[in-house]
Amino acid sequence: MSTLLRTLRNLRRVGLKDFGHQMQHIGDTKAGTFIGLDKYGNKYFENLAEELPLRTRWVDYKDHEFDPSQIEPGWHAWMSYSVDLPPTQDKLLQRQIRVWEPTEHRPTLTWGSAAYRPYSTTKPKYAAWKPVAKPRQAATTKQ
Amino acid sequence: MALRAKPTTALMPYRAGSAAFLSSTSSNSATPVGTQQSPGLVAGNPGTPPPMKVARREVPLPSQEGKKGAMQYALTTLDQIANWARQSSLWPMTFGLACCAVEMMHLSTPRYDQDRLGIIFRASPRQSDVMIVAGTLTNKMAPALRMVYDQMPDPRWVISMGSCANGGGYYHYSYSVTRGCDRIVPVDIYVPGCPPTSEALMYGIFQLQKKMRHTKITRMWYRK
Repeated sequence: MSTLLRTLRNLRRVGLKDFGHQMQHIGDTKAGTFIGLDKYGNKYFENLAEELPLRTRWVDYKDHEFDPSQIEPGWHAWMSYSVDLPPTQDKLLQRQIRVWEPTEHRPTLTWGSAAYRPYSTTKPKYAAWKPVAKPRQAATTKQ
Repeated sequence: MALRAKPTTALMPYRAGSAAFLSSTSSNSATPVGTQQSPGLVAGNPGTPPPMKVARREVPLPSQEGKKGAMQYALTTLDQIANWARQSSLWPMTFGLACCAVEMMHLSTPRYDQDRLGIIFRASPRQSDVMIVAGTLTNKMAPALRMVYDQMPDPRWVISMGSCANGGGYYHYSYSVTRGCDRIVPVDIYVPGCPPTSEALMYGIFQLQKKMRHTKITRMWYRK
């Protein structure tokens, strides 16, 4: 929900360059405080005072081909209002990575070159039948 | 006896080829008895999966491929226009079959607000682009599903929503349930979950939009 006055007000705040960037990516102009930058390069913003509920926290993706799975788990919790503090300030979210955990976050790889391709390790239920005929033996034995 | 002569074959599971001890005549199997496979390998299976640690082979995405020549620039722009039009007015044919349909309805409610993505549910397959199969597909419903899919105009896509539509799910061993709607129609997107949340379905729609964005319509036509 955007009015012309709000768009112009936010345009004055964020500047012309960010305005164009936001209109390309979000389709809206939003001004807020910069909260943090995750490892991938996405930027996170917050404006609790002026924005409508559930629109107070937003992300500025690094890629143009963005995907919600590019948000890291801690930041996802912050974006979904599960936690109050971002992972840069929350001690609980800054835990050690255990040995069995993947060291870096991987987004959904669907439609990419690294997408999962299924394979089967079981025997197929049916197969082409290759008839094997034994060569006819010569009648050597006597009746 | 063949059993005593080769005691190793007795340890193996019975197969038609190794049942030589049942008869006193020589074996008539197609494969020679001497070349028995190891018990783990079954003839005709696709083989062991590729090892997990293989050298990475970087393949450029369709968006990362460069453009050569004026023709490719023109066709890419045409494709972008067509894909933009396709992905921003996605009219789904609702195929609500079970509880997944409730989550699909939630997608049209104000909280998720599918209208902002240009998604309008249509009741007729002749007006729709994408079919969302939401719920358990029974054997009785399967011909109707195929008929509705055949009535949709090209280009058409199918989203399989929920475990039951993906592969039977909870009713996989039922006598009356189709084990996945991909046995009936070609599926583009599988949304997992039982039922998937509306966010999950919306994410599946984003993935479908991503697929549409990278479709080479006129470029493939030009290549031919």
